[in-house]
Amino acid sequence: MMMMKFLFMMIFMIPLCFMKNMFWLVQMMLFFMMFLFMNLNLNIMCFFNMSYMFYCDIISFGLILLSIWICSLMIMASESLFKLNFYFNFFLFNVIFLLIMLYLTFSVLNLLLFYFFFEASLIPTLLLIIGWGYQPERIQAGMYLLFYTLFGSLPLLMGIIYIFNDLNTMTIYFLKFFNMNMYLLYISMIFAFLVKMPMYFVHLWLPKAHVEAPVSGSMILAGIMLKLGGYGLLRVMIFLQEVNLKLNYIWIIISLVGGLFISMKCFCQVDMKSLIAYSSVAHMSMVIGGIMVMNYWGFIGSYILMISHGLCSSGMFCLANINYERLHSRSLYINSGMMNFMPSMSLWWFLLLSSNMAAPPSLNLLGEISLINSLVSWSNISMILLMMISFFSAGYSLYLYSYIQHGKYFQGLYSFYVGSSREYLLLFLHWFPLNMMILKVDFISIWF
Amino acid sequence: MFFFILTNNNSNKMFFLFILFFSTLISISSNSWFGCWIGLEINLLSFIPLISNSKNLLSVETSLKYFLTQSLASINFLFMILIKFSLLKNFDMNNIISIMMNSSLLMKMGSAPFHFWFPNIVEGLSWMNNFMLMTWQKISPMILLSYYFNKNFLIFMIIMNLIIGSLGGLNQTSLRKLLAFSSINNLGWMIFSIMISENLWLFYFLIYSMMIFMMISLFFLMNMYFMNQLFINNMNFFIKLNLLINFLSLGGLPPFMGFMPKWIIINFLLINKFYFLTFIFMMTSLIIIYYYIRIIYSSFMFNYFKMKWVNLLMKNNMSLINLSSFISISSMILSTFIFM
Repeated sequence: MMMMKFLFMMIFMIPLCFMKNMFWLVQMMLFFMMFLFMNLNLNIMCFFNMSYMFYCDIISFGLILLSIWICSLMIMASESLFKLNFYFNFFLFNVIFLLIMLYLTFSVLNLLLFYFFFEASLIPTLLLIIGWGYQPERIQAGMYLLFYTLFGSLPLLMGIIYIFNDLNTMTIYFLKFFNMNMYLLYISMIFAFLVKMPMYFVHLWLPKAHVEAPVSGSMILAGIMLKLGGYGLLRVMIFLQEVNLKLNYIWIIISLVGGLFISMKCFCQVDMKSLIAYSSVAHMSMVIGGIMVMNYWGFIGSYILMISHGLCSSGMFCLANINYERLHSRSLYINSGMMNFMPSMSLWWFLLLSSNMAAPPSLNLLGEISLINSLVSWSNISMILLMMISFFSAGYSLYLYSYIQHGKYFQGLYSFYVGSSREYLLLFLHWFPLNMMILKVDFISIWF
Repeated sequence: MFFFILTNNNSNKMFFLFILFFSTLISISSNSWFGCWIGLEINLLSFIPLISNSKNLLSVETSLKYFLTQSLASINFLFMILIKFSLLKNFDMNNIISIMMNSSLLMKMGSAPFHFWFPNIVEGLSWMNNFMLMTWQKISPMILLSYYFNKNFLIFMIIMNLIIGSLGGLNQTSLRKLLAFSSINNLGWMIFSIMISENLWLFYFLIYSMMIFMMISLFFLMNMYFMNQLFINNMNFFIKLNLLINFLSLGGLPPFMGFMPKWIIINFLLINKFYFLTFIFMMTSLIIIYYYIRIIYSSFMFNYFKMKWVNLLMKNNMSLINLSSFISISSMILSTFIFM
């Protein structure tokens, strides 16, 4: 009952998208829904709010909150669609449809329905990238996104139906009582989530999709779609424990070494959004490492890093778009010396980039400390990899900040306004949960 | 089809349409194999006048090719029936005669490896004739297939259907040939479903025909036959959305209606432990989705050319299009209220 009312609230917001002058009202309704959702009874040790086919768990709760938050901020960031009258009705419908699919992914009890909504959330994302993106390469980016994700998730469908035929249940809660220890099942179940995360060798769709997407598409991709992979891994690994203990080292090594290579590759990027996209891959590589180690600190660290990375990367994409709307370029050669014109925006660049490099008091710091703890307890050699990844993440965050803000500005600029209140509010709403949630982390880091 | 015949002032073809429907019913409800063969022959004889139009040379050539291939298959079928009656006195299904009977029925359907006539012929037919060829003409060979099939042979044919249907469409630009190759691919799914149960086949077939009907009626109303025509038309937003939804649904992507039959067939595949076959089903499905998305590029990109010489007749008659899009999106969710 408690979960269904939010579903119906979102479904009934759909007719609201098609009425006149309702752009900001939809965004306000999403904020309203966020505050209503926060007041659900939260019990950290088990599944709660169970009704017909919904439930809520500590992980689902946090991720649904994050998705509602990011969706409302997506609408706030896309005011230019409304001003230019570029199919904003259908855009609102797309955002709400995507939010419904994400909400249902995180809250259904049935594993097959989880797969159904997991796949269904791809279609509005694809529409966002190809429909509202602004460059010809977006077709290729949409193809890469769709086919990398589908290639991983069709074996997942096979695995889920195999589990159903074997266990005669699809309820996520009951899966922990079984032990299906088959190698092929293991590969088919986790490959989808590894592609979605993304892991190093199958990460190629992410930079393409992020660069070509509009700001709303980038925000939702970085904010939530990557976390679907983490959420799926956390749900699915429970009944595969013996195979996990034997084979997880492969994924840890691939993702950590890959994270190192990706962090080094960030220094070579010219495109701002491409740099932020590669930094997403590096953060997610640590998340994969933490989940695959399968100790308690690993799960906690990866969950915290998922939430904080969602807020932080989404905020950085908003900043990149703020620059893009003024200079119409994402290149680092043109976006330089911004501190001369927009000093207040440089504050926000600094705050979000310092959170990206896991400086205190951001939530990223807690996530990285927990992950370092868990990965080093698994093997001492990962100390070297983690040290390099953290060092390079500080490196490229400062690199990005310094190239954009300091130095001489591009002489071809004409004029633009400094920063509207909407943009400051957008960035504040990204930064505030990120740096203030560190004051009370027990609701996201104590599971039992 | 009725609508098309009535509006094109061609109502003398209504008689042949009636005989076509009747022949399928003769074929699938007969007590003896001879009755089946008779039904197939009447099917062939009544379809030829529907597709041939003496004023158009391409149409005459198409109907001649159809006649030759289908009559060859029918003769083969009759011969195998007679051999089965005279030489074999058993009911065993896994022998050479069942392979030959299945082959002749597969050739009637246009399934691989006897599919070479199928893309050729659809190129010469109009959209409504294509619809009849792709949906109705498959009913009686499918059901006859289910009466006496050879499991190993049919599994091999399924794999060939899937691979040829997916890889064959990669280099096509004609919309009719693309739908023909997708029909060959879907035949693979349908042959498997009829090996499981006729009810399952009926479910898959009905949903597939509904999706094909929505797409073909859209192409028919827009008078589109080639992929380049998709970009120069003044398609307004709802038509684009309908095209998008229909093709994604045909590809089997959630949350659209086309996901449900594929999901149920994968369920039966895994119950019967066909693991590698399921993997082939999945991967060829990916290739099919690739060329569907190539077709619907024009619907993803919202701005379109507004050409002055293209006259769009459909501005006032949107209700059918909106209804079909709504059905495609919501039928999965509505069906959960029925089945779950």
